[in-house]
Amino acid sequence: MTPEPTPSAPTAPLSPAPHRHTDTKHGGAKHGDGRHDGKHGETKHAEVKQGGAKHGGTVPPAVVRHESSRPWQLAALAGLAAVALALGIWSLLSVDPDRIGGTGLVEALPAVYFVALALSLAGFVATLNLRRHTPALLAGQVLVLVVILHAADPIVHGLPRLEASYRHLGIADYIARSGQLDTNLDAYFNWPGFFDLLGLLSGATGVRDLMGIATWAPLGINLLLLAPLLALATRLTSQPRQAWAGVWIFYLTSWVGQDYLSPQAYAFMLLVTLLACLLSVFSGWAWPTGSKPFTRSLAHTVAKLDPTVQHQGITSPPPADAAVLLVVCAGILVAMTASHQLTPFAVVPILALFVLTGRLRLRYLPILAAVLPIGWLVFVASAYFEGHLGQLFGSFGDIQANTLGAVTQRVSGSEDHVQVVYTRLAEVAFVWVLAAVGAVMAHRRRTAWLTAAVGALAPLALVPGQPYGGELLLRLYLFSLPFAACLAVLILIPDRQGAPGWKRSIALLVMGSVLATATVVTRYGNDSMEKFTREDVSLVNRLYATAPAGSILIEAVGNTPWQFQKYAEYDYRELLAAQPRPDAAPLTCDAPNRIAQRTGAYLIITTSQKVAAELLETTPPGDLDRFIATCGASPGWTKVFDEPGGVVFHIKGAGNGI
Amino acid sequence: MAFDRKYVTYAVGGIAIAAMPLSFFGPEGLRLVVIGLLMLAGPGTALVRLLRFGPPDSPEARGTLPLAVSIAVASSLGLSTIVATAMVFSRMWSPPAAVFLLSLVTLGLLALGARRSRGSLAGAR
Repeated sequence: MTPEPTPSAPTAPLSPAPHRHTDTKHGGAKHGDGRHDGKHGETKHAEVKQGGAKHGGTVPPAVVRHESSRPWQLAALAGLAAVALALGIWSLLSVDPDRIGGTGLVEALPAVYFVALALSLAGFVATLNLRRHTPALLAGQVLVLVVILHAADPIVHGLPRLEASYRHLGIADYIARSGQLDTNLDAYFNWPGFFDLLGLLSGATGVRDLMGIATWAPLGINLLLLAPLLALATRLTSQPRQAWAGVWIFYLTSWVGQDYLSPQAYAFMLLVTLLACLLSVFSGWAWPTGSKPFTRSLAHTVAKLDPTVQHQGITSPPPADAAVLLVVCAGILVAMTASHQLTPFAVVPILALFVLTGRLRLRYLPILAAVLPIGWLVFVASAYFEGHLGQLFGSFGDIQANTLGAVTQRVSGSEDHVQVVYTRLAEVAFVWVLAAVGAVMAHRRRTAWLTAAVGALAPLALVPGQPYGGELLLRLYLFSLPFAACLAVLILIPDRQGAPGWKRSIALLVMGSVLATATVVTRYGNDSMEKFTREDVSLVNRLYATAPAGSILIEAVGNTPWQFQKYAEYDYRELLAAQPRPDAAPLTCDAPNRIAQRTGAYLIITTSQKVAAELLETTPPGDLDRFIATCGASPGWTKVFDEPGGVVFHIKGAGNGI
Repeated sequence: MAFDRKYVTYAVGGIAIAAMPLSFFGPEGLRLVVIGLLMLAGPGTALVRLLRFGPPDSPEARGTLPLAVSIAVASSLGLSTIVATAMVFSRMWSPPAAVFLLSLVTLGLLALGARRSRGSLAGAR
């Protein structure tokens, strides 16, 4: 398939010099309207100043010559990054996990951590403000921030966070050993792509225990996201410093915590890469814009809103290479579809709006992007589709239930937890306000903003679909964040190439500090229940060593680090899901007794379950301890283990086959 | 730059060749590093080496490093996912065979890239 031709819009750009990226290694004097003085040595460091754009493009662009940054400045900034990194890691290593309370990790962090964070933020802003754009140093500063802000869990705890990580390891282990899927066992097997990938890694290397990879996944995934985020931001902004600042803001506000070893993290990385590739290589109108009134009016409207749109695709590969890249994009869509339920559906509105705003000339791609996940759901995940029609479509169109209803559900639990939830809502609102202000300012300055705004808003088209287990808004925030971050930086980073200046840099540092501090709270606000200890895992291992295959294993509250092995060998049950239950009734012995009635069962109550129950108020305060004391003394209950990680009971069944 | 490209080619080719026997035997740590790298970036890096994002030495071509890295990683992981998923659905699960296939694709793309580079150089002369 050869890319379609890209006729330009009939409307002349309202600004004579729309902003676009040209500054690469050599400063970027290759702007269409840029001029150089003919001296080779000087043009190498020249950057085009778009002084006129701010005033409607009436003033021709001037050339600003930049001196190279002084070596001592570069060395000082590199040293600053190294000090921030060392202090950050050292402070995280000194955290006492027992001090992590209801508001999360922030309670246990030493003051040095915030010094490290501040140094990291200052290092980035100072690097951004160097006279010469220095991508390598900016990359180093962002990497330091990623380690300090997003690698706290592996450094502090040394174990995977979230119980889902452990389940994911178990599914991958099952596939690696058997090479098969069991859709009756778990809905995950209907979208097995990511687990197949992990299973392939495990099977081909002989490494059965991928716990280390799961532990360090938050760091690895954020590092893998850097290049796609930068490639995407480069296509959304007017100059490289805006793009770097956009990536920086993304990391500062990415609190959703989906960056564990999960299909959604993998699919998100594919999504960002796909969009970056499409905007880079296939940008343009999908149809001639002068022939029909509708297309003419559309092109005129887009040009009026953002005159830079028609200039934003930069790469022009040969047709054969473009065709190969199209196949790559289709392959990414297929891999994403096979791996995750939601992400491929988020792609559809984004691509459709890109087509309608002249940023994607492949008019059939949104259709392919829709056909793939729908076809997968109907034909491949057919068992799930037929069995969950009510869940899939039951709340279709119920916008209030899918938005406010889901948010309201989350604003509950212990007082500390509610504070964290409110901080999250405030941070989301702050990011969206910054993005909106950035979009308005960019529109007035006639610089690039429309594609980022469209990308930020498009995922909201999924709102009428379903609440996605109450997590839809969280996921939509994540999908829109790369775009919203690029809009937010437009407030402070100028469109002309060159250093933003100290006043803007200080403002950027203040904004970054506010966001970083909020993210320490919001990202790690559930750390007390999302982290696990070696004692928790040790208790699970002892349970596995004791319970015969085929046993029923019960967890009192769904927050146990288990299923990372023997995924299909046991019948796993839970008494209560780990979620807020207003006016929760005390646990009774009846529920586990009923489950164990026939064949008997093992009941595990870990410290992590108790923490989750207290934090979310799943049970009344202290109820799990009371449950252990009273039910543990019941006839037929035998305490098998009582360790620092928790307790395990064996409940005798009537047949007592086990 | 050509120096870098040459060594990237050697490294990717070396990983692809080493991964084939390592998918059967070898120390676990070494197997994890080599096969992990192949799945993470092998075929994609070879593909990116083959592609041209714009006229050589143009700002467009130079400014696409983040995009090239992204495509290298996403296409490698995507291909690994598709191969593994196809094997599971066709009930032909064989991780060493999948690694062999990924290695072959990588080496094939590297060979095509080398041929194309030679062609470009000859054309330039």
